[in-house]
Amino acid sequence: MTAARPDQEASRRRSLGRRVWSAIGLPLVAIVLAMLVGAVVIIASELLVGGGQLNWGKPLEAYGALFQGAFGGTDAVVQTAVSTAPLLLAALGVGFGFKSGLFNIGAQGQYLTGALGAVAVGVALAGAPGIVAVPLSVLAGVAVGALWGFIPGFLKATRGAHEVVTTIMLNYVAISLLAALVAGPLNTPKSISPVTHDVGNAALPVFIGSNGHIGILIAVAMVAVVWFVLYRTTFGFEVRAVGVNPDAARYAGMRPRLLTMLTMTICGGLSGLAGAGDLLGVSHQMTSSFSTTVGFDSIAVALLGRSNPVGILFGAILFGAMRAGAPLMQIQASIPAELIDVIQGTVLFFLVATPVILRGFQTGLDTTQITRSYGEASH
Amino acid sequence: MRIRSTGAALFAGVALIVSACSSGATTAPSVAAPTTASVAPSTAPSTAPSVAATPAPSSALKIGVVTDIGSLNDKNFNEYTYKGAVAGATDIGAATPGSVVPKSSTEYAQDIKSFTDQHYDVIVTVGFNLTHDTIGAAKANPNTWFIGVDQAPCVDPTGADDTKFACKGDAKTLLPKYISITYQEDQAGYLAGMVAASVSKSGTIAAIGGTSLCAPCIRYIQGFALGAQSINSSISVKTAYVTGDFSTKAFGDPVYGKQYATSFIAQNKPDVIFQVAGATGNGILDAACSAKIYGIGVDVDQFLSYPNADTCIVTSAEKHLTNSVEATIKTIGAATAVGGPQLFNASNDGIGISDFHDKTSLISADLTTKLATALAAMKAGSLVTCPATGCGVYSK
Repeated sequence: MTAARPDQEASRRRSLGRRVWSAIGLPLVAIVLAMLVGAVVIIASELLVGGGQLNWGKPLEAYGALFQGAFGGTDAVVQTAVSTAPLLLAALGVGFGFKSGLFNIGAQGQYLTGALGAVAVGVALAGAPGIVAVPLSVLAGVAVGALWGFIPGFLKATRGAHEVVTTIMLNYVAISLLAALVAGPLNTPKSISPVTHDVGNAALPVFIGSNGHIGILIAVAMVAVVWFVLYRTTFGFEVRAVGVNPDAARYAGMRPRLLTMLTMTICGGLSGLAGAGDLLGVSHQMTSSFSTTVGFDSIAVALLGRSNPVGILFGAILFGAMRAGAPLMQIQASIPAELIDVIQGTVLFFLVATPVILRGFQTGLDTTQITRSYGEASH
Repeated sequence: MRIRSTGAALFAGVALIVSACSSGATTAPSVAAPTTASVAPSTAPSTAPSVAATPAPSSALKIGVVTDIGSLNDKNFNEYTYKGAVAGATDIGAATPGSVVPKSSTEYAQDIKSFTDQHYDVIVTVGFNLTHDTIGAAKANPNTWFIGVDQAPCVDPTGADDTKFACKGDAKTLLPKYISITYQEDQAGYLAGMVAASVSKSGTIAAIGGTSLCAPCIRYIQGFALGAQSINSSISVKTAYVTGDFSTKAFGDPVYGKQYATSFIAQNKPDVIFQVAGATGNGILDAACSAKIYGIGVDVDQFLSYPNADTCIVTSAEKHLTNSVEATIKTIGAATAVGGPQLFNASNDGIGISDFHDKTSLISADLTTKLATALAAMKAGSLVTCPATGCGVYSK
């Protein structure tokens, strides 16, 4: 009995190591491969057009500038945090949907309507005391984003309309709604082009650096909140149960339709919070062409983080850092910002391709297919 | 989703190569990279004020460009502004300008800040959307020159952006190093109108604007009508606006533009059509080509920027983005620059019409003389190119 204990310990440790590798190994491999592909693209473009020279040092120069722009000094780190916050919130929303088997492509629209709700209330309360204006504007963003998530949830629950289709369509509705409202009721009459007023006192307070707003803290706090809800509450259990098998969940007495609506509403609320944070913390006003890459990047972040809130935190920091470092990479290394898109796209490609390539090798990697069940793979 | 991401990656890869390709074709900005990188800016932040304060020799000016969302080689505002910055830098012997292309609206301020953090001396920002953040940066960095292309700042008495547009502050004194460039669109439209009227055989020409809320679009079209009437007083100028709001249809929807223009042409039967609707307008030019009538481009030489419609583009009403940015940078290099709003029109070679390319045979010697006379009169300020009342104001 006592002799067996060290063996058990060792095997438990080995299995823990294997579990960690299984959870993060695949994303890590994908990221490294994507950086390599990015390096090849840089070298190839230099060779083909940048003076025709084989410049092996160029990728290092580019990634060096990217890293310096993202982490080189307080300002850079704060900027990375500012870029990470909306990605984190929207990806938490998308990941929450994945857990329930819902493929929410609508983070873009939910983000935009969230920003729209925040700017509408923010402008109205621009003169009110911050203690009133800030929470109300943030809540308005969350509420409008949640509504934008509720609609596809409701349609799915009552009519069986597939959320991929409805959320994509609602993205376009959001873009047009935003343009119409900014050019219409929210417009500043004398401006040469449509733009809203400044949100004034409704702007999120800055607590660090020149632009580190409290939305960052809210985003990080939401990691814990979402984790707690998913893994420590009955509701979270039900959400996951519906994701694994809706029929079994129904036989077990759960109500998948209600859960679908609630889940989509929460997805929307989190993306709406992302939009509100960006608008009240960064832009402070809105033009009719207000746009973002957060909505779609957040889907990638949720996949990268395997829908686990902690995984999503790391995925969001990676993508946020690339966004924050991109300007310096363009300035110092003259590498177009499109390289970031190449790397982000390639990360996703390898997330999908690596299991296929590795199939047959005994790597200990979790090679479960990265479709709906990908969200479940980590649990 | 997987397929879309992969496609996006492939597309982005191609875009990277293409953009690197065309930048190499202009003046290879990558050559400048080692010099800017070797300055290692963040290591010596304390030297910043002294660098900006001492009158450095012109060749030491560091010039950066923050474009609007899109790409650097968009054959449009981003590209021609950047070319102007490159030309200006060459003129004064400065290093090839750096550039940053934002990916979303929340990145403008950060992108401008990346240049100020690196102690750039001249920062060019492209387009109306960057006005708010350019004002903010100009206020925070009083020693840095800012050139805002197509920007009309409105500031409060502290020099901050006045989003209520009371405009109580004087941008010129409060932000003395912020040069905001605008263009007199009606003059360019006037010249285009003269060309349209003289190549028209039917006596019916048309102009389509993106949205009736866009004052510059209206000025283009008002000038176009007056210019056409100066050639043929009985000409019929049909005007229309694609939409009455700032939705995507106004400037971002070529497919809808083509649809709209096709039915417009069928109804009104013009034989020349002037587009003032951005990318939607590219669809209008396509429709003109399909209908075998002539088209006139806008803002930049669209024969070059939109070769799809080369068969029918006669000329384009141009904002000389490259010229105006180059000229402004030269004044900064020569230490004669003055901040505040800067209007570019015929008198400072800020507007004009594009080369006729393969349509030169359509242009009579008579028209060439008249165009030269009109341009000279604009330079002298003696030619009215916009209605005395209601210039830039939409009326049914």
